[in-house]
Amino acid sequence: VEYSVFLRRIKPWFFHFHRMEASCLELALEGERLCKSGDCRAGVSFFEAAVQVGTEDLKTLSAIYSQLGNAYFYLHEYTKALEYHHHDLTLARAIGDRLGEAKASGNLGNTLKVLGRFDEAIVCCERHLNISRELHDQVGEARALYNLGNVYHAKGKSISCSGAQDPGEFPEEVKTVLQKAADFYDANLWIVREMGDRAAQGRAYGNLGNTHYLLGNFRPAVISHEQRLLIAKEFGDKAAERRAYSNLGNAYIFLGEFEVAAEHYKKTLQLARQLKDRAVEAQACYSLGNTYTLLQDYEKAIEYHLKHLMIAQELNDSVGEGRACWSLGNAYTALGNHDQAMHFAEKHLEISREVGDRSGELTARM
Amino acid sequence: ELQSKVVPSKQMLHSDDIEMEPETMETKSVTDYFNKLHMGSIVYPS
Repeated sequence: VEYSVFLRRIKPWFFHFHRMEASCLELALEGERLCKSGDCRAGVSFFEAAVQVGTEDLKTLSAIYSQLGNAYFYLHEYTKALEYHHHDLTLARAIGDRLGEAKASGNLGNTLKVLGRFDEAIVCCERHLNISRELHDQVGEARALYNLGNVYHAKGKSISCSGAQDPGEFPEEVKTVLQKAADFYDANLWIVREMGDRAAQGRAYGNLGNTHYLLGNFRPAVISHEQRLLIAKEFGDKAAERRAYSNLGNAYIFLGEFEVAAEHYKKTLQLARQLKDRAVEAQACYSLGNTYTLLQDYEKAIEYHLKHLMIAQELNDSVGEGRACWSLGNAYTALGNHDQAMHFAEKHLEISREVGDRSGELTARM
Repeated sequence: ELQSKVVPSKQMLHSDDIEMEPETMETKSVTDYFNKLHMGSIVYPS
């Protein structure tokens, strides 16, 4: 309603003074409305049409480029996102728009991070931070600190040899990078706590918890994730609540508190079902299966691994299916049911061959 | 012969299992920009 009122108001004015400008603006406004409603694909078409029509107002063009970059980011088309955020940065600099330059740099940093170009991402995020401080823009400063935390976190994960090591047992180089991430999240938290921005606090606590987890600081990880959970509940944000329960479950596993971990994974499972997210439901079943294995309750472990197997098959997730068969083989072995154990071991071998998982194949042969 | 292979805790979870919070993207709104720039100065046709 707001949009249509706005459009009705500006239409006569724009058509009177500048017909082409009105057309570009109308397309951009429609693109903005569509993106806000969650239809980024349709939004992109309108924004690209607006660029085609063109405008002499460079600040409007900058906003269109920025939104195109964000739309492509949400559509996971990161090369396109990068291209438009670059255009936005160039334009913001050309017109001497410092705030616009800071925003474009932040978006560019996030996009470069996703593309694994961490050092370039850091340069962009630092520029976002420096300009925000220069403009005494506390919101921008806090967001830049959060983004920097994310870049260092992703860099740490990336150089930790793709998860071959356990949390807390990474090389010093990785720990240094992860510690930097934790420092940035802490710095962000100081500001957003002062501003009373609970949503931002929730995000920072969640990722700080994850960083502590990777550093092997499992107790501080639990404290952070508990905070994240509390804030998620305040907002009724079920997805964030589910993430917190899952991360809490993982931390409790490493604390050796398997019963507590199982309770958290059960909450994850319940929320995944509420949110109708089958992939997350499968992951929760897998975690529960593993947790009951640790608790040596093999019947329950089998129950959850079978649920995981069923969803993995439904989702055509061969890797998940292989993992489920491997786990089921182990659980049946522990129960002394060798026929079933052999059945799942053979299935695991078959799937490992199919997906070209050499290490899985070798494990299965054992 | 199959042996008991209970998965130890440190092999069942790795860094890929952690769930990250979403990125925060900066926004430049066309609507806000034009609201600020023009709405005050528009003379509506009667």
